[in-house]
Amino acid sequence: MSRRHVISGLLVIAGLLWAATVGAMYRAVRRFETTPGRAAAAQTSWPAASTIERPEGAWTLLTLIHPHCSCSRATVEELELILEKAPPSVRSIVLVYRPSEFSPKWQNTEVVQAAHRLPRTRVVTDLDAREARLFGGFTSGQTFLYDGDGRLRFSGGVTALRGHAGLNSGVAAVVRIAKSGVGQGSHPVFGCAIVSHSEGARK
Amino acid sequence: MSSIISSEVSPEVAERANDLRESRLHARRARVDRMFAVLLAVQYVAGIIGAFTVSPYAWEGKTHAIHMHVWIAVIGGAGIAILPILLAIFRPGTVLTRHVIAASQMLSSALLIHLTGGRIETHFHVFGSLAFLAFYLDWQVLITATVIVAADHFLRGIFWPESVYGVANPEWWRFLEHAGWVAFEDVFLVWSCVLGRREIESSALREAQIEQLSEQEQLKTAALQMALSEMQAAS
Repeated sequence: MSRRHVISGLLVIAGLLWAATVGAMYRAVRRFETTPGRAAAAQTSWPAASTIERPEGAWTLLTLIHPHCSCSRATVEELELILEKAPPSVRSIVLVYRPSEFSPKWQNTEVVQAAHRLPRTRVVTDLDAREARLFGGFTSGQTFLYDGDGRLRFSGGVTALRGHAGLNSGVAAVVRIAKSGVGQGSHPVFGCAIVSHSEGARK
Repeated sequence: MSSIISSEVSPEVAERANDLRESRLHARRARVDRMFAVLLAVQYVAGIIGAFTVSPYAWEGKTHAIHMHVWIAVIGGAGIAILPILLAIFRPGTVLTRHVIAASQMLSSALLIHLTGGRIETHFHVFGSLAFLAFYLDWQVLITATVIVAADHFLRGIFWPESVYGVANPEWWRFLEHAGWVAFEDVFLVWSCVLGRREIESSALREAQIEQLSEQEQLKTAALQMALSEMQAAS
């Protein structure tokens, strides 16, 4: 076989590989980005067993974050937008997951540092996802909005896709409910699992 | 362009000018092919480094696995870059090579945009790439690149609108707005391609004319020398 034939064959294989990769990549990316995490089994009001102190009479936004979930950067960006647009009386709590066998250093990531910079926000460590389980959340980015009486008004994510910041109906719903004081809402949540399916089943 | 050359000069000069033009364009395009081969390889490595830096692992509680983005950067990036790099090495300067490079460069932009979580800053890669593609002085290459960008936005806008526009129900024509900005840059780049080709054509024509004049001068000199030698021999 001549060198010319070998090169032509190589280019044809590369061409097929090129076309197949582009198709497969689009498919894989789409599946990854659009598949939501496990939806919360949220209770209708602030759980009585929770040790997290709810700001008395204030609307409260509570968000679960896995410190190493890269998708949650987008969640923190969206939280900043929500707190900017929502009435100043709305308070925010970010629950940062950490397994008890890991040192506090494990949770000191860029996502958590960004959460510390959010206005009107308290960042609380959630050892072994105890609080996440009480609130019924399983996925990083899960956000709950409670009204002044502790009733749940919104449950879901605040990003359009995995790791994608930008205008979306989750943010719009939270801002609308917080501003008007009426209605309820939900939105798919995109992020890494804080509580796996098997762990959630054991709850 | 070649008709202008042909109408003003002798057929021999026009043919020589066309040869010079084609050879210069081919050499230039082969050089640009090699530049893109290096650029695509660098982008491939940058994509992998970016994926490892931004999102190395996907987590489930306290366990983790290699993040999907890393696999996409390694396998998808290689798939995108391999054909244009091989074409640039084995078929430099051909029409097919530069069109495949244009398409691959735009797909690399889409990949980098994805790996950086749709950062608006990464979209500038598209505009920078278009400017580099204009080095080919072939406006059709810009059309290929624009069609790929428009198709990417159109298809994602239909099946997966949040990934491009951030909202789930954008207007059907929204991809035209994004492609419109690319077309805006294209207008000036196409114009610069036409001007660049004209410059190469006119310099090729000048060189062909100079070659012809030099040839004629050499013939005249040779004839004079011969006449002079004959006169010296006769005296």
